[in-house]
Amino acid sequence: MSSKYDQRTITKDGQLLLRKMENDQVETVWDRLEAQNPQCGYCEMGLSCRICAMGPCRIDPFGEGPQRGVCGADADIVVARNLGRMIAAGAAAHSDHGRDLVEVLAEVAAGRAPEYSITDEQKLMRVAGEYGIKTEEREVLEIAGELASAMQEEFGTRKGFLTMANRVPEKRRELWKKAGIAPRGIDRETSEMMHRTHMGVDNGWQSLLLHGFRNALSDGWGGSMIATEVSDILFGTPKPTPNMVNIGVLKEDEVNIVVHGHNPVVSEMVLQACESADMLKLARDKGAKGINLTGLCCTGNELLMRHGIPMAGNHLMTELVIGTGAVEMMIVDYQCIMPSLGAIAPCYHTKMISTSDKARFPGMEHREFHPDNAAELARQLVREAIENFDQRGESYIPVQATPSVGGFSVEAIIGALGGTPQPLIDAITAGKIRGAVGVVGCNNPKIKHDYGHVILTKRLIENDYLVVDTGCAAIANAKAGFKMAESIKYAGPGLQEVCGALGIPPVLHMGSCVDNVRILVLAAALANALQVDISDLPLAGAAPEWYSEKAVSIGTYFVASGVYTVLGPMPPITGSMNIVKLLTSGLNDVIGATFAVEADPEKAALLIQRHIEAKRKALGLSSREF
Amino acid sequence: MREVQVHPERCVGCMQCMLACATAHSQTKKLYTAADESPLPKPRIHVGAGLHNEGFPNRCHHCDPAPCMLACLPGAIFRDPDTGTVLIDPDLCINCASCAMACPFGVLRYHQDWVAPPEKIIAQKCDNCISRQQIGLVPACVEVCKTGALTFEESDAALKRKTHEVACTIASGLEQQSLIPPGVELLNLAKKQRLEMQNRQNL
Repeated sequence: MSSKYDQRTITKDGQLLLRKMENDQVETVWDRLEAQNPQCGYCEMGLSCRICAMGPCRIDPFGEGPQRGVCGADADIVVARNLGRMIAAGAAAHSDHGRDLVEVLAEVAAGRAPEYSITDEQKLMRVAGEYGIKTEEREVLEIAGELASAMQEEFGTRKGFLTMANRVPEKRRELWKKAGIAPRGIDRETSEMMHRTHMGVDNGWQSLLLHGFRNALSDGWGGSMIATEVSDILFGTPKPTPNMVNIGVLKEDEVNIVVHGHNPVVSEMVLQACESADMLKLARDKGAKGINLTGLCCTGNELLMRHGIPMAGNHLMTELVIGTGAVEMMIVDYQCIMPSLGAIAPCYHTKMISTSDKARFPGMEHREFHPDNAAELARQLVREAIENFDQRGESYIPVQATPSVGGFSVEAIIGALGGTPQPLIDAITAGKIRGAVGVVGCNNPKIKHDYGHVILTKRLIENDYLVVDTGCAAIANAKAGFKMAESIKYAGPGLQEVCGALGIPPVLHMGSCVDNVRILVLAAALANALQVDISDLPLAGAAPEWYSEKAVSIGTYFVASGVYTVLGPMPPITGSMNIVKLLTSGLNDVIGATFAVEADPEKAALLIQRHIEAKRKALGLSSREF
Repeated sequence: MREVQVHPERCVGCMQCMLACATAHSQTKKLYTAADESPLPKPRIHVGAGLHNEGFPNRCHHCDPAPCMLACLPGAIFRDPDTGTVLIDPDLCINCASCAMACPFGVLRYHQDWVAPPEKIIAQKCDNCISRQQIGLVPACVEVCKTGALTFEESDAALKRKTHEVACTIASGLEQQSLIPPGVELLNLAKKQRLEMQNRQNL
């Protein structure tokens, strides 16, 4: 029997900090999960409905109690409505994040955000071209303004289709049209999902699920894609950059500032402030050797991808990082920020700052960022963090940081391949690389922390499957040491040869969770190059430790785009075996891909390999038997 | 005589029995107002988490002979002759916890209660909702349990039903059938798997 800490996380820093926090009598997410057990079975199965005030209702899965809600909805309808609303919430989160970036772009174009600028003009021109905006002989800011306005329009429904959905292969677009799931507008699909799931609207569980796919596609090829593309335009398209990961990135002798959340609009300004000469001088005057900015979760990934900023940890590390006692200030924006953080900070000296007008947290000081005040506010906050340095008590940074390389945007990958995807296609055709797998998603205390990500990734690369990753999965794999040039030692002979020749690791960090769209773009580019559909390619996706509604939307747009996707934790759908069967097998006939659910990464690796080898066989390529 | 029967394999861990029990033993008998009472009403049925975090409703068995009754020093625990229910007299109870030491099921709790003198802490446990039964209602926990994990029936009837169910799963000539629906089995499987993974050796 392993220790409690070993059962909770595979990471050394996690285990040591869990022990410390228990000694400090600080409760963590794992303790709260234990306190919640047993969790409500109706809810776990998707069989409880709180949608209207004739309810709340629940359906008895054993068949003797009520089989219909007050309105008459049966298990299939209740599960479908609940799942639909999860997708809507996830799509809304990503897309609202995208909208915030477009607003900054518009402000930059209008000259009202002096500290922000257009960093990647080439990308601006390329994306503007896709939107049919004239780019020749025009001012950059004028183009940016027009692009911002065109993108804002996509949130409504005026055109009836999303521009960037044109990036998918023709075959897939036709399939979407035929199935009635081509996304029309970003906000429209989410809004329609809320409408359909209102009592007395859509009570066809199949049509509800189909709209769920359309809703998710409005995120993947809409809101999230806009978020990623505009972030690149504003802050630069990532290039391979070395960085350091795990709790060891905190420094004993420097002012430690941690950014947590998702939106680079805030973290980029904090970074600028941390690098300014007067702030560095102030820090030295206060006895610190410097200012050490580190990231958590996806806003950390945004900085890691573009600037090589060190990464302190993923979702389940966010409480533990405060437990080091070494963090002067944590600055958060939105999404995945546990409301427990504000209660942990007073046990140490950490100042907690919330920055978004739409995200408040107990125990945090609210200092709202807007494009016009961001630079000055960031400097003010960094100053306060520096002033907090002498309040630091004993700190505990028990491990050395692990090096990794991040920054693999599609542009960077194509660049590493020599400007065309052909070498990758050749390697796949020759069977040196069997296929590619996106390992993405969150952490969830129900799965041993990082175990799902790391074991799955390890099994895939040792069998010559290239792994691309994002979000918390990407941080897990970086901590596990899979992202250095010498990490090819973990790869099978074929993958080792190809990555070795290109000088890249066998696991490519593609960014934050909105950056999952980079994987879509790459998949579409490969399919277009081969003139096949995405679902014909030897690809797969996995979310081994997912927890959030955003992950449900991501998984759904992966599948709707033609990528077989294996989930770790069971989604709340087992209340309807009709829906389980549709999502895990029936969908193949509709959109050429399905979900699978497999919590054990050893078994998930087999499922994925079997799937990819079958796709290889269908393409007439060499295939392995399982 | 009808009694509360527990069928743990049916418990989904929703804890609605706990809420209903606390409400039934409140002064106002309504959830929304009960949550505002002082002292706060507390449940006498408790849902525990099993090995795979499955729910288990734990309540007083009203044993006969009852170890708690034998252990009770002031003689506060007695049996209602009509229903066989083991009850506690709040005025006689001295909060010595001898009953908890004797109880093999861990169903006793100690707290203030509106039926006891103010500020006095007393032992509390399931009373079979005697006052509800007197007005023709079934015990509150049974009323809200929609999966049939708690039923109010003769024990013979419950056991006979179970005999039939078991017989159906092993009837000759048929594929062995499970008593548990496939969706519930899927969920249980996922829970067991998580636990097994937790205990695996780390890298």
